[in-house]
Amino acid sequence: MNEVITFIWTVIILSLIATVIISLYGIARRPNLTKKLIALTIFTDTANLLVVLLGYRLIYPVAPPVLPSFSKEALQTFVKTAVDPLPQAFVITAVVIGMAVNVLIAFAIIQIYRLYGTVDARKLGEKQSTLLKEGGI
Amino acid sequence: MKRLVPLIILLITIFGLAYYITPKLPQQTELRPLGEFYLKNSYFGDYSAKSPEVVTSILWDYRGLDTLFETSVFFIAIIGSLTLFRLNKKQEEEAKQKTEEFRIGLTLIIKSVTRVIVVMILAVSASIALHGHLTPGGGFQGGSALAVAPLLIIAAYSKYALEEHGLDKTMALIFRSIGLLGIALVALVPLLSGGFLMQNQPIFPAKLGGQLVSGSLIYYNFFEFLAVGAGFTAVFLLLAIPEKVFKKFLRREANE
Repeated sequence: MNEVITFIWTVIILSLIATVIISLYGIARRPNLTKKLIALTIFTDTANLLVVLLGYRLIYPVAPPVLPSFSKEALQTFVKTAVDPLPQAFVITAVVIGMAVNVLIAFAIIQIYRLYGTVDARKLGEKQSTLLKEGGI
Repeated sequence: MKRLVPLIILLITIFGLAYYITPKLPQQTELRPLGEFYLKNSYFGDYSAKSPEVVTSILWDYRGLDTLFETSVFFIAIIGSLTLFRLNKKQEEEAKQKTEEFRIGLTLIIKSVTRVIVVMILAVSASIALHGHLTPGGGFQGGSALAVAPLLIIAAYSKYALEEHGLDKTMALIFRSIGLLGIALVALVPLLSGGFLMQNQPIFPAKLGGQLVSGSLIYYNFFEFLAVGAGFTAVFLLLAIPEKVFKKFLRREANE
């Protein structure tokens, strides 16, 4: 039983690492700024999931970190089965803050599109150099 | 077929590697000492936060200062978005004028269903936030759920429907400021009675009228709920301004 759980756990971790690599490729190699943002959101979500998995325990009856009833006896079994609450507490804030930062990046991309007429990183570089030569900025 | 080849190679690599390294991995069956400390102390221990929900008690009590600064990061990100889309007074008035294509809106079915669902979303998000110290949930999650309601109204009606009923950008910013101010004040209250910054027990009463409120946790959750929900609402209201109107502003500025 335990080996099966460990195997599934390893598969999940390795798939997440593969997702991180693919999203890093997207951030670095895609020229479109919107696609870069999509890859960045995939990257942050995968990183958050990896952090949550850090607190997981490879045992069979595993419980969320919420006390089931207000008694000292329940506390004993609770500590034996509950997962680590600390990574979850970090991820809660990271998800919402990540959403706010993504909104900020999306606003910047919209504004770039309005001012330059393109979201292609290569074309943006060319436009900037011509603007600098003409003294437009 | 050609596009499937990298996928198959990736899957075979992952399963093969997993099969190879599974016996060599350390079995993570025990808790770390820090996590065990939080689980034991959250409700019963000497350093109790009087909350059965361990994640919330870490979030707003044991690691409260972390969350306070995370909230300031959220505040700065929202302020940055609002600054990028900054309009002057005259333009803001003009952005509130209904343009021609928004007169009719979507069909009656969508509008009535939205009207019912928005009320349900408001109730559920308030429940998530106010029960944050008892069940999984809290201010951040409740606030994110709350922000869905104005988004739905923007999609089904238009942003003008929100503004006609008084929820414009200024109003959303006022609600967000109330939330942030509330968090700061609740953090400062323990200093008055000789405690530490953001201290929870025993300064705040754990029970109010027979109900478990877990000291300061419910206040933090409520104010964070307001701040997150209203902050996102302000951003969505700006995003909903039609592109045509913005283009008009930019062109006018270029001509001047």
